[in-house]
Amino acid sequence: MLRKSAFLFAVAAAVLLPAAPAAAQEPATKPAKESAANSSPLVSTEWLEKNLDAKNLRIVEVSVEPGVFERGHIPNAQNVAWHTDLVETVSRDIASPDKFTALARRLGVDRDTTVVLYGDNNNWFAAWGAWVFAQYGLTDNVKLLDGGRKKWEAEKRPLDTRTAEVPASTFTAQAPSGKLRARFADVLAVAKKERDEQILDIRSPDEFSGKIIAPAGIQELAIRAGHIPGSVNIPWAKAVNPDGTLKSKEELKALYAAAGIDGSKPIITSCRIGERSSHSWFVLSRILGYDARNYDGSWTEYGNAVGVPVVNLAGTVWGGK
Amino acid sequence: MKWQANRHLRRSDALAEPVGSLGIAAKPARHLSRASLVPALAPSPAGPAPGTVARGKPLRAALASLVAAGLAAAAWRLSGGAGGTRLALSLVFGALFGLVLQRSRFCFYCQWRDFLVSGDPRGMLGILAALAVGVAGYAVVLGAWMPDPSGTRLPPDAHIAPVGPVLALAGLAFGAGMAISGSCISAHLYRLGEGSPTAPFALLGTGLGFVLGFLTWNPLYLASLSEAPVLWLPRHLGYAGSLALSLALLAALAWPLLRRLPAPEPRHAADPLHAVFVARWPVWFGGLAVGALGTLSYLRIGPLGVTAEIGGRSRQAAGAFGILPERLEGLDTFRGCATALRDAVLTPNGLFIGGLVLASFAAALVAGQFRPAVPSRGQVFRGLAGGVLLGWGAMTGLGCSVGTLLSGIMAGAVSGWVFGVAMFAGAAGTLWAGRRLGALA
Repeated sequence: MLRKSAFLFAVAAAVLLPAAPAAAQEPATKPAKESAANSSPLVSTEWLEKNLDAKNLRIVEVSVEPGVFERGHIPNAQNVAWHTDLVETVSRDIASPDKFTALARRLGVDRDTTVVLYGDNNNWFAAWGAWVFAQYGLTDNVKLLDGGRKKWEAEKRPLDTRTAEVPASTFTAQAPSGKLRARFADVLAVAKKERDEQILDIRSPDEFSGKIIAPAGIQELAIRAGHIPGSVNIPWAKAVNPDGTLKSKEELKALYAAAGIDGSKPIITSCRIGERSSHSWFVLSRILGYDARNYDGSWTEYGNAVGVPVVNLAGTVWGGK
Repeated sequence: MKWQANRHLRRSDALAEPVGSLGIAAKPARHLSRASLVPALAPSPAGPAPGTVARGKPLRAALASLVAAGLAAAAWRLSGGAGGTRLALSLVFGALFGLVLQRSRFCFYCQWRDFLVSGDPRGMLGILAALAVGVAGYAVVLGAWMPDPSGTRLPPDAHIAPVGPVLALAGLAFGAGMAISGSCISAHLYRLGEGSPTAPFALLGTGLGFVLGFLTWNPLYLASLSEAPVLWLPRHLGYAGSLALSLALLAALAWPLLRRLPAPEPRHAADPLHAVFVARWPVWFGGLAVGALGTLSYLRIGPLGVTAEIGGRSRQAAGAFGILPERLEGLDTFRGCATALRDAVLTPNGLFIGGLVLASFAAALVAGQFRPAVPSRGQVFRGLAGGVLLGWGAMTGLGCSVGTLLSGIMAGAVSGWVFGVAMFAGAAGTLWAGRRLGALA
């Protein structure tokens, strides 16, 4: 009898004890942690797991693959479909102020809300989301989960399939700021050396040299191969560690400095359609604090334009030789 | 009837692999009664002749255990890698699906033929049971994933296809292919595990049919598919309305079938091991299992489907031979058993199919139903010809009897119903014509 009750006590203790210190800790540690997060544009998976229920925090998943969110997401996360929610679906543009207002309200995001974005594919589209949010003035309060979905899953942290219910916000978007977005005319001016800026092309070396126009299996193409004159090529993946986290600030600084990008001149990031380049935009702008803009027209705009200067190292003609 | 049954035994492998007890080849005489068309449901002797049972049984059981252990080891290994959970789970679900199909002989064409030719409705009731369970299961999952179905969005990767004449044509072709080759694609897969002489040719034909489908895709897309509406019942009726309508339709279909049930057979106190591993499972039980598997698979990986891998690999091969159209208009934007090009060696659907075939092989071994045979010329021809129709129908209909019909209806897609009606009509018409011409049994 005694043994049985002792056993039951042990079981109860084992179940209850781990929860107790966490509950005791919570009020004391939370503000400190939140302020730690405030200073950085990245949050760690560890920090996020401890702050899942923080009141002023919204977690948003922006993944490419459909069904990934629904089959299990970070608890309390909400879903954003990048190709319908964050863009205009008919014209090629970022979501209009009205559309973005509706989205931000649905997500319960306001100017003082901490937003953590994450997604599959090394946070490509989460970074793209951060770029769109930033144009509507949601910049410093929007953070990326370092390592994204990949790291969260690799660390076997919990996933949830239920829908988070958050109170809607009253956010109203103004016209988007043009300071973070490079347009065709800006890029052309740099290509013609009328303006002293740097273009960072983050596509693969074969796309950059003009050997291929787009990666295999991609249908959205350009008519010409090559790159914008004066741009330098650092594929986006070089900024990432094998576990999906971004490299340290020092490593990133050295990586870009080796190609002559040190923040002394304004930078324009570019790729094929402007989403992978927002990953590098995030690194340059938010982590290194450089003056960087993303050129979302990218090669599918520039490589289709008539009469613009192009560098085609491979000498490709109509996709062949 | 006697003549038919005998003829059937010789000429078709749709039902011609009679499920005798413990691998004793069934004697034709046993196949004369209606009940024995579904042999495991027929009164089987409580214990088969001991001499024949014992022969080779330990060896077969050992081999089957080895296959099962191999599958488990493969799943365990896969689950270790990055993103491996999905792969491992696909293999496990595929194996379970193969086990259920083999044990209950869950075959769309055989059930339909049983009903048409010998008036036995139990198989069709099994299919309806699968749909009813799946419809309810999907409603639970979808309600959580998309609390509001009324917008313009569709639930993630549910098989909801455009509804139009092309879909009906695909269903008819698929049905004809089932009748000619003896079964649908999923059943050919589990029969591959049983050593069926027709299945390899039917699957080869399916691959060719897919290539044919790619070649006819662009004109069909531009003429009709691009304008065809993608109809999803919950968007218009809500989840409750869609569930009620689907269940009501299933009940309406079940009602006339239930009135034709054969007289109940005396129950036999069977040995449980025998009931699970040797005797045929009742089809309704297989149906419940398929419905549950469909729901679980949708929750964790994706809707059940067996043609994504076949289609993807055919597309890859056709591309390598340079016979694929430069661009398949709009194809990759549709839901269904997407035939996206494969860039990985191991894909979830590939593992699903591998698991299906191997588990069916193991189950057939234990039950004594693994009976490889040298294919006859007729089997080769019917397999290839029927397979081409199956492949063309599955490519054009964006899935087969499992992907478009089962997973579609479960998700509340109108396309599932349309494909289903066309498929059963195509099979019935072809069977009728074939029997008149003496070409089909």
